[in-house]
Amino acid sequence: MNRRDRVINQNKVAPLSDITRLIKDGDTVAIGGAWLSSHPMAIIRQIIRSGIKHLYALTILGSVDIDILVGAGCLDRLMFSFVSMEAYGLPPNFRRAIEKEGLKYDEITGLAIILGFEAAGRGVPFLPYRGPFGSDCVKERPEFYKTIKCPFTGEEMIAVPAIKPDVAIIHAQRADPAGNTQIEGTGGSDLELAKAADKVIVSVEEIVPTDVIRQNPYKTKIPRFYVDMVIEAPFGAHPTSSIPSYVGDPWHMMKYMEMAASPESFKDYLSEYVMGSEAEYLEKIGGPKHLDVLRKLAREVKLL
Amino acid sequence: MSDYAEDYSTAELVCVAVAREVEDGDVLILGSFTPLAFVSYVLAKVTHAPNIMYMAYSSVDARPFRLTFGSYEAAATAGGVARWNMTECINSLYLGIGVDVEPISSIQADQYGNINISVVGDYAKPVLRGPGGAGAPEVVKMHRKMLGYFPNHSRRTLVPRVDFITGTRWKISNEERIKAGLRPGPIKFITNLAVLRKDEEEKPFRIESVHPGVSVEDVVNNTGFELAVPDDVPETEKPSKEQIRLLREVIDPYGMVAFDFKSGKERLPYLRDILDREVKALGS
Repeated sequence: MNRRDRVINQNKVAPLSDITRLIKDGDTVAIGGAWLSSHPMAIIRQIIRSGIKHLYALTILGSVDIDILVGAGCLDRLMFSFVSMEAYGLPPNFRRAIEKEGLKYDEITGLAIILGFEAAGRGVPFLPYRGPFGSDCVKERPEFYKTIKCPFTGEEMIAVPAIKPDVAIIHAQRADPAGNTQIEGTGGSDLELAKAADKVIVSVEEIVPTDVIRQNPYKTKIPRFYVDMVIEAPFGAHPTSSIPSYVGDPWHMMKYMEMAASPESFKDYLSEYVMGSEAEYLEKIGGPKHLDVLRKLAREVKLL
Repeated sequence: MSDYAEDYSTAELVCVAVAREVEDGDVLILGSFTPLAFVSYVLAKVTHAPNIMYMAYSSVDARPFRLTFGSYEAAATAGGVARWNMTECINSLYLGIGVDVEPISSIQADQYGNINISVVGDYAKPVLRGPGGAGAPEVVKMHRKMLGYFPNHSRRTLVPRVDFITGTRWKISNEERIKAGLRPGPIKFITNLAVLRKDEEEKPFRIESVHPGVSVEDVVNNTGFELAVPDDVPETEKPSKEQIRLLREVIDPYGMVAFDFKSGKERLPYLRDILDREVKALGS
């Protein structure tokens, strides 16, 4: 994306369906969030609705975001350090695709992926660290991990290459129309994704005037010169969390695990929950009353 | 009268044993949802280690909290002094000043201090594709202590050699670790049967203690690799009455700590029940 255009364009607000302007078949897409938190699920559902295919998805700590894309057949390849449904078990579609269908994957240790994004963001071809010596992940991907000698001390280090996604997709609390984005909750390494990617799509709980952003600049993690598109998507991280607005939805996660247990029932999941609009989705998962419970659970915590 | 509790579960015993590995002044991380580790840290913080500092998700120096299921992330992150994203956290803590201990669980662990969270069977087409290591390769190598916890001590989990080395302690003895620029500290495995410990490359794990009611023979028979058995194996220190009270009444009233010890089938019904009680407690 042309940097100057990004800076000049002060109104990047678009409807969810516009993601096809920026995400194309075959793209490398880095997905924000971590664990079961802050994943850009509304954008992910829209990728499935739009029929975008042959993606190479990159995640550091993935969960239902990756599993749903795998199950919907959107991916040709996957880079990850971790894909887990945590308390709910192992991700069913992810397991099936690798164990039975031979989905191509690059299992790269977590720090190495982050370092690869950092390298891209800083404009250097690689970054070194005292890498995971002795891990078989290094053996499996010799093209990714290289042993180098520090030119100053002679110490052996691991170098990892810059990772440059075509697109990064991120969900956050709020942004202004120009793309200044505030992250309050568990942001993973979203800023590094935004710095590394050629194009960046941010979905937010609410779009606010720039004045509101200026009232609390400390929360702004991604300034507008990294952002190409801003989409308003309330509960856009659901069923993952967007702390402090709402917790992850344990009821829906259990429903998901049940329906993802077989390829047949997962098709039903997609047609029931994904193929309609986001508004229909929020109704189907329980509507306003249910969403209130998720908000309330995020507020009412007991500190000792 | 003894200060030790007589009525406690294995999960509570393991939780307290993990908490006892936490020393005041430690820097710790709460990452992937591991209820037992969360509860152990909080227990340590409200008892013998009030000055420990932990990162909970994006929250720096978060406060001790009551563990629930529906709102664990909100509770763990509330009340921190700063927000750091994952990059700041790993650059500062993993790669910078270093973390003291971060308990991890794995599909397999072996006698060399290797862990496998990746695959069982062939790598390209495995029998079981696990979740992957996240930060675990660095956790087990770089942190001061390597602490594994295993709810099911068996020959399937504690194997002679893991199928795939997701992460490894790499340098084990204090001398080798210091030479490699790593902080010295032991490997400990805390299981439902015993505490195992390794301090030297060339020497096997030894039984540090067996849990009350468990025989040394049980431990040896259920371990897939050689163990050094001292002449006199001590019993693992029982939880105190006060520790059990804090767990049940204050930190973990819903019994989240037992979650890791449930079988796959029991887990979702167990969580559903906790959720029901949690939502009832929310009121209207």
